[in-house]
Amino acid sequence: MTWHLARLAGLAAIVSGQWVHYVTPGIPRTPDGKPNLSAPAPRAPNGRPDLSGIWKAPNGKYLFNLAADLKPEEVPFQPWAAALFQQRQDNLAKDRPTGRCLPHGVPDQMGVPGYPFKIVQTPGLVVILYEEMTHFRQIFLDGRTLAKDLNPAWLGYSIGRWEGNTLAVETTGFNDQSWLDDPGHPHTAALRVVERFRRKDFGHMEIQITIDDSEAYTRSWTVTENFNLLPDTDLLENICENEKDFQHLVGK
Amino acid sequence: MRTLLIGVILAAVASAQWVNYPTPGLPRTQDGKPNLAAAPEPSFFGYSSGKWEGDTLVVQTVGFRDDSWADAGGSPLTASGKVTERFRRPNYGRLEIEITVDDPKAYTAPWTVKLNQRILLDSELLEFICVDNEKNRSHLVGK
Repeated sequence: MTWHLARLAGLAAIVSGQWVHYVTPGIPRTPDGKPNLSAPAPRAPNGRPDLSGIWKAPNGKYLFNLAADLKPEEVPFQPWAAALFQQRQDNLAKDRPTGRCLPHGVPDQMGVPGYPFKIVQTPGLVVILYEEMTHFRQIFLDGRTLAKDLNPAWLGYSIGRWEGNTLAVETTGFNDQSWLDDPGHPHTAALRVVERFRRKDFGHMEIQITIDDSEAYTRSWTVTENFNLLPDTDLLENICENEKDFQHLVGK
Repeated sequence: MRTLLIGVILAAVASAQWVNYPTPGLPRTQDGKPNLAAAPEPSFFGYSSGKWEGDTLVVQTVGFRDDSWADAGGSPLTASGKVTERFRRPNYGRLEIEITVDDPKAYTAPWTVKLNQRILLDSELLEFICVDNEKNRSHLVGK
């Protein structure tokens, strides 16, 4: 809830802020000057699709349940993971990391509809800037491989490669602290996430996300999320101020 | 806007513990309602724009919070502050940054410092999350 109100406050900033009505360069427009969001996806100088831009989930569907497209009994929990998920539900998800200004993880940060994210694409590196809490991810496209023994991190370590017009990103090296979504689908440090980014046209991107964590789930499972481009605006600074929310949260 | 409102409603349904929780930092009118016409929130990093002057990238930044610290020692920086950074890379391994702080509310004249940075090769940033919230502060001493 606070996120969404914060976004409304953000709209105020857009109305009267530093970059009011600043027109994002390079966006195709209709004759009346409006962004043409169904124009073809742009290409980078190297011929690959250019994913750069500010993107936002259209709603909180997958934040509120990453397994929203599965029936509850279809989520392939290991027994302990099912029990932990139930425990988090019973406790109203009070111990969600973001309640203490700790990060969302991969993939749920992208699914937060109140906070957009910005993709900055270069030939060897794709950077994702998350508005919420000013976190970032680096996706290396320079041919490096993922090390076996990585210092566990909230957002892990990402490498990517182009498969035709799709950017396939593999991420490992997670800690076991982040939640896969707000209700708390769990994962372990064995988590491997594969994201397939496909910019369908100028204003729309699809990301297919596969959760592969054999310690928490009996098989890998996949969701497909869609995102909308936000034209003619920019990210706002967002700093999570310590411990001001947590005292207001209730559990059982 | 409509999408945002739907988002608010969905959020309220999914996480009812935050209903009616006042958003920190949201500008409000005298009767307590959100003031969406207020100026944007000042920020820690401000708002930056840059331009090239020959081989130098000149970056101007404004829009700071009024309670900013310009350094770890506590040199003040206020909402009237304007910071100009001139980035120059004299060779492969070095970066000079000339920084001018122009903040008439805190200082009687603009002042300038020059930083010399060295490039870090064959390395990468590590994730840093200020994860141990408020675990340090109780151990700090002042007067």
